Amino acid sequence: MSVTDVLATGAEFAPVLIVLGSALLAFLLDVVGVRRLEAVGGVVVAGTGVAFLLVLADLGLGFLGPLRTIPAATVNAVPAAGASPLYAFTSFGLVFQALFLVAAFLVGLASLSRDSHEAGAPIFYGLLGLATVGMLLVAVASDLIFLLLAVEVTSLATYLLVGYTRRGARPLEAAMKFYIIGAASSTLSFFGASLLYGAYGTTNLYRIAAVAGGVGYPVLALLGYGFLIAGLAFKTTLVPFHAWAVDVYDGAPTDVSAFLAGGSKKVGVFAFFLVFLGPVLYVHPGAPGNPFSGGPIALGPIVQLTLAVLAVLTMTVGNVLALLQREMKRLLAYSSISQAGYILLGIAIGTSPALAGATFQALAHVLSKGAAFLVVAGVAGLGVGPLVDDWRGLGSRRPLTCAAFSLLLLSLAGVPLTIGFVSKFVLFSAAVEAQGYFVWLAVAGLLNSALSVFYYARILRAMYFEAPAGGDAGAPPLTSRLAAGGLGYGRAAAIAVATLAVVALGIYPQPVLGPIQAAATHFLGLGA
Amino acid sequence: MLPLISIVLATLAAGTAATFVAGTRARYVALGVSAAFLAEVGLMFAAYPGWPGYNGALVPGFAEQESHAWLHLPWLQINYTVGVDGISLVLILLTAVLQLATVVYSWEERERPAAYFGLMLLTCFGSFGVFAALDILLFFLFWEAVLVPMFFLIGGWGGPRRRYAALKFFVYTHVASIVMLVGLLAIVFYSGATSFDFSAVYASARGLGVLPQSFLFLALLFGFGVKFPVVPFHTWLPDAHVEAPTGGSVLLAGILLKLGGYGLIRWAVEVLPQGFAHDRPILFAVAFLSIAWGSIVSLAQRDMKRLVAFSSINHMGIVLLAIAVGSSLGLLAAVLLMFAHGIVSGLLFMSAGTVHHTFGTRDLGALGGITPTTPVLSTMIMAGSLASLGLPALIGFPAEFTALLATWERLGYWVLLPLGILVVTAAFYLWMMQRVLFGPPRGIPPGAHDVSFSEGAGMGLLVAATVLFGILPSLLVNVIVSSPVKGFPGP
Repeated sequence: MSVTDVLATGAEFAPVLIVLGSALLAFLLDVVGVRRLEAVGGVVVAGTGVAFLLVLADLGLGFLGPLRTIPAATVNAVPAAGASPLYAFTSFGLVFQALFLVAAFLVGLASLSRDSHEAGAPIFYGLLGLATVGMLLVAVASDLIFLLLAVEVTSLATYLLVGYTRRGARPLEAAMKFYIIGAASSTLSFFGASLLYGAYGTTNLYRIAAVAGGVGYPVLALLGYGFLIAGLAFKTTLVPFHAWAVDVYDGAPTDVSAFLAGGSKKVGVFAFFLVFLGPVLYVHPGAPGNPFSGGPIALGPIVQLTLAVLAVLTMTVGNVLALLQREMKRLLAYSSISQAGYILLGIAIGTSPALAGATFQALAHVLSKGAAFLVVAGVAGLGVGPLVDDWRGLGSRRPLTCAAFSLLLLSLAGVPLTIGFVSKFVLFSAAVEAQGYFVWLAVAGLLNSALSVFYYARILRAMYFEAPAGGDAGAPPLTSRLAAGGLGYGRAAAIAVATLAVVALGIYPQPVLGPIQAAATHFLGLGA
Repeated sequence: MLPLISIVLATLAAGTAATFVAGTRARYVALGVSAAFLAEVGLMFAAYPGWPGYNGALVPGFAEQESHAWLHLPWLQINYTVGVDGISLVLILLTAVLQLATVVYSWEERERPAAYFGLMLLTCFGSFGVFAALDILLFFLFWEAVLVPMFFLIGGWGGPRRRYAALKFFVYTHVASIVMLVGLLAIVFYSGATSFDFSAVYASARGLGVLPQSFLFLALLFGFGVKFPVVPFHTWLPDAHVEAPTGGSVLLAGILLKLGGYGLIRWAVEVLPQGFAHDRPILFAVAFLSIAWGSIVSLAQRDMKRLVAFSSINHMGIVLLAIAVGSSLGLLAAVLLMFAHGIVSGLLFMSAGTVHHTFGTRDLGALGGITPTTPVLSTMIMAGSLASLGLPALIGFPAEFTALLATWERLGYWVLLPLGILVVTAAFYLWMMQRVLFGPPRGIPPGAHDVSFSEGAGMGLLVAATVLFGILPSLLVNVIVSSPVKGFPGP
């Protein structure tokens, strides 16, 4: 490896290294005694911000210029036997890196406004940075073990994030539950990977594709894929592997919930993309040169149907259970589960429009759900209780916050002129475009989004149309030290940025959706 | 040439935003915006080739057309395409007139006036967009943009059961619009249209077979029918109307119901002619059902708002009948009827609102002989009722006459059904007026006073429109008939 190669690699890894450095610096500051929230947080927020800009530059002058598609030859050449590159930078992976960094940046920025007397600020920001490093690595994996290890890096950091406050039993319980479930799901994933290794003698995703093209699908491999789906389904909170998510999102500090729902869940989503779509094209039936169409067992249709069923089940169960919730965080958690169903829909369909739609839906979810949790955290800091009913009449008392929250909820419901509408529109139109039974997936998705309107409307109704129990005078005073100043600058800025993006991308999505579409097409071409 | 439609959209959008932040001066901003809107619509009329003199030539395509790329992906070609023809122009005029009248009528609104006027302007903004949009997604965006402000108008300023009514309104119309969207998308993807533009969809949908067309037409009929509303999807309407504040009711009956009629003509009848021909029996059945049900139920109402609401169902049933007839004359009748009903129901809902806060009740059974106390209000009620029952020289007459003529032309003696119902309704209205306006005084609280100046001005504007277009219907007719009728089956 020559010096220029090392430098080139360094340049590609620069975002990862910067975030890693900022995370380590956060821990270091703790050691040397600098524990000011602004200082420690500022390092990590700045790190993620710079890394985000670098990723955009890597994609080719951000979204201003044409997308830089990495030459296919350097990525999709099946590695020679023996050689097994662990990572590959694809433009699609970079899109997801950008998405992960947006989530980390927003959560980091908002958390600058937390109670500065709260212990553990360096730990929080250090762990946030480490979790982000894992996510960034997931996005460039080309090897199954590398992928699962990167997922594990994220998971370990997020287990700790859930319980880092050490205050009260609920976060601890949530962390414990998260850890046990997470460990179990990792076991499933690794077991599946080991079965695949047994079947094909390699863990490189491109080589697996090449070998499977020759030997087809022994039972061992099918079992392996089954375990992988189950393991990743836990991470992605798919029904029936979802039950942990609500308790964890509910019990975790709300900023952490924002990161879990908005950011780290997408790790599982990307892993799904990577295992079933990118290098190997298990799912996309019509792809030219699909090596599996003539195999003895056609894996594609099985995987496709499995994922489709999981997707419909996930969005339906998530939505129905969300209807029954009275607590704000649990409601958002269930709605988050249903949103995972929409994203999975894109994987099940497996065409490049669907993949672009799913990716855009993931972005919509990062912005809308992440920021919604950030609002909930801020409002809880003002002394508002956990129930939806506690939000009664808040619309006139905190008009700006509630206006932003309304826009975010409308986006989650898929109401036009928000990003949530565009993403669902693209996704469902991709399903209709794919024809076949996918049209019914679109119908299921549409019915589900109609259903979801009920519970979002209930929140809007509480905020704007209902008086607090006991009338306006009887409303509990907004108690916190922040009551006078609002949510704090960092949180307000994060919410404002996310809300503006939600509206701007809802009105004119082309500058972001165009590159995503190009990257998705390129990604699907890798396995061809 | 000036991009007039974009200018109107910009005027309304900026005006809405300014109204929201104008605080107590919101009403002045709203009035200015409404006047500018009406003036711009006047310009659009003046620029329309088929107006005012009709020389018998058809105006092909759409006037004021603009098109810009919006979202272009390999499988989605979505543009910002807008344009108007005679049908949309008339309904745009209705929107502008009703907006101005409603702003004037609501002049004394004291409860959060900035938000109230802002939401009203937003509703009109969305409605204008619906009438001008020539791209499926754009159309849908505006369609939904009407929904949200109306939801807040009902829920925020309505009567005692406003929360229930607002939610019911939202859920009914939202579900319907989703079905509509699926139907429109299915047309695009199954017909292989090159873009979401009306012209592209119009051209390619003809390639679909009769059965797909008829299935898609039914989906669109459901989507638009809920907004109409046709029986049996009408139950949201009486609730929404009764609970909505007066301004909301006026816009709801005057403009929102017309969105359904317009959508059915533009996106279903014109785009899917064979499906339309195939499904006409269903249209007739639904139309007759709505006409009969709306009028019979309205006879049993004592609440003036509920009465007008049910008579709206009746009138929109006649609109559906006129569309279903499937001739140029029927289309003319449908558009005229929608215009007439918009003006007249607006007038009646304003009267009902004034009756309510003058006498403390809208219960017609409890009131009697109000004319000596409130002569102006009585005149307004009288004008509205007479126009509603189709008295010549008022706007209702040319509309209903054309509708009956078109029905007779195609359906023969079936015309007796709507005609008979019209006669019964007219008798009922006369009897009601006789009792409420002229009988012995009953139920008049002490100190009841006549309409305020702003209320009178708002209603007077609508009365003027009723008379003007009643005497000179050609002002509207010329515009409508100079637009080519797109897609009617056979002669």
